[in-house]
Amino acid sequence: MTDIRSRPAGLTKWVVTLPPGLFLVVFFLLPTLIVVLAGFRETGEFGGLAPIDGLAGLTLDAYRFLLGDVIYLEIFARSFFVAGLTTLICILLAYPLAWLIARSPKKRRDLLVLLVILPFASNFLVRIYAWIMILGPASLLYTPFAVIVGLVYTHLPFMLLPLYTNLEKHDPALLEAAQDLGAGAWTRFWRVTFPLSLPGIFSGSALVFIPVLGMFAVPELLGGTGDILIGNLIKEQFLDNRDWPLGSALSILLTACVLLLAALAAWAARRGLHGTEAVS
Amino acid sequence: MLSVAPWLASPPLSAAGTLYLYNWNNYISDETVKRFEAHCNCRLKQDYYSDNEEMLAKLEAGAVGYDILVPTGNAVESLVRRRALRPIEKAQLPRLNNIKPEFLNAWYDPGNRHSVPYATSVTLLGFNADKMQELGLPTDSWALIFEPKYLERIKGRVTVLNSQRELMAAAMRYLGHSVQEHDPQKWGEAKRLILRAKPYWAAFSNSTYIKDLAIGTIWVAHGYSNDMFRAQQDALAARRPFTIGFATPKEGAVLAVDSFVLHESGRRPDLAHQFIDFMLDGRNAADLSNLIGAGNPNAAAMAHILPGIAANPGIFPPAPDLKRLEMLRDFDPKLRRALSRMWTEIKVR
Repeated sequence: MTDIRSRPAGLTKWVVTLPPGLFLVVFFLLPTLIVVLAGFRETGEFGGLAPIDGLAGLTLDAYRFLLGDVIYLEIFARSFFVAGLTTLICILLAYPLAWLIARSPKKRRDLLVLLVILPFASNFLVRIYAWIMILGPASLLYTPFAVIVGLVYTHLPFMLLPLYTNLEKHDPALLEAAQDLGAGAWTRFWRVTFPLSLPGIFSGSALVFIPVLGMFAVPELLGGTGDILIGNLIKEQFLDNRDWPLGSALSILLTACVLLLAALAAWAARRGLHGTEAVS
Repeated sequence: MLSVAPWLASPPLSAAGTLYLYNWNNYISDETVKRFEAHCNCRLKQDYYSDNEEMLAKLEAGAVGYDILVPTGNAVESLVRRRALRPIEKAQLPRLNNIKPEFLNAWYDPGNRHSVPYATSVTLLGFNADKMQELGLPTDSWALIFEPKYLERIKGRVTVLNSQRELMAAAMRYLGHSVQEHDPQKWGEAKRLILRAKPYWAAFSNSTYIKDLAIGTIWVAHGYSNDMFRAQQDALAARRPFTIGFATPKEGAVLAVDSFVLHESGRRPDLAHQFIDFMLDGRNAADLSNLIGAGNPNAAAMAHILPGIAANPGIFPPAPDLKRLEMLRDFDPKLRRALSRMWTEIKVR
């Protein structure tokens, strides 16, 4: 700050970061705080929130209700399992495809990526209804399988694109060097390509895992009588049951779980990267 | 979203101005709209909702400028209690006596100070009539979706509404209780009945059942009478080798009455009254039944409604049926949370 030369840079930094910062405060931070507060308020007589005056009107009822009942824990566990499974299948499907696109001639790559994104130009619901048409006659509609298919299908590009961006940047010289040193195809993949692609896998996984947790339309349209995720539960509290405090408390618990998981992932990723550095 | 104040949407074309209607999807035909615009020399602009709660939430969030809303009974009560409505000036509605007396003076608005009934629907059972006959199953009772002895024969071919209030109300009627019951014990009975039947159901569905019935993959669906009407028409249009029927179970069911109300933020109560009176005209009111198969609380409309629709007891419940129909009412927060807990258990188990 005392260094005169850093001042213009500091000012520019402010000018550049202020608009997105302000955007985040207005459209992310404030709404989140409202949700946090709503979780501690009482339900209004006709839904919504009861009016309060002062902090004395706040209550822990919603949290007590949720945490005192194993059924809600079950739904959380199930949702995390479904989101994890979806992420894993997305990795397995997207990896070979991303690798293939990254390896194809430069001229054709943009076209291939475009082809991947193209179906997503049509409306989400239309595509889900298409799956109803496909799965219905095969008697697979309204099953957990249908839900996984729908979730994987809608989230695949979010895994594919970061993976492709990562794989495309790999220097072929590394693989050649590995080959010169006598590494077979499998070893080259496991020891060179895969560790280098970990950041792509991590960012892809975050882009798939977190939205799947909040997804309610897919289980509602494709799922059977037992396919409920946290997203459905939260939506129900706000729209059908008019219990905003309970819905807010659920949202906050979900956000807390996701943040915890993201922190764990970041920690693991850092360790993983250090690990590869040590090897190289 | 459209929650931007609607009066910013477009400037009025004529001096007569614009009327803003916040309405259900597909709840007034384009023809009727054009006829009204010619009649009032004004414009009618609509925003749509698919759920009472969606509409209430948007108003709660501060949307203003809507002259007319079309809420269901319990939402009317909620709006009245929140003082969000402008009283109706009956002197401006000479055709108000077209409304059938049984739809006037409802519990949610005694004396119709705030609401004018527009359309009705019944939550009932729709079914593949040919399959039901082939399997010899009764279509006039909730037993069809709650009794394992019947369900065994249609396992995986049944959908029920993904609505805590509607599904539990059906179970309550089957058990002989009121849908406005306040005793959690009795709701617990309904929960157990549902859990016993659930393994036989294919899905909880709020909209896909229309298509599923029409293409024949689902044989029995719990849903709204106007949706069943659409499934029936779709199956007919596609020349399916079966027909779709629907009937109100003899144990009784849920009746929904949607009414016109004036929002306090509306700027043209004069046009709003003109619109409501226009819609009270028999010919204009009849469009609704002919278009979407909704029930009609308007006596003068009956002469203009297609005979096949007017005679359908699923759309126009005869007087004895009407006595067994009940409207949903909002519960206090404590019972709401208890019911929500039961519903979650129904979903998870």
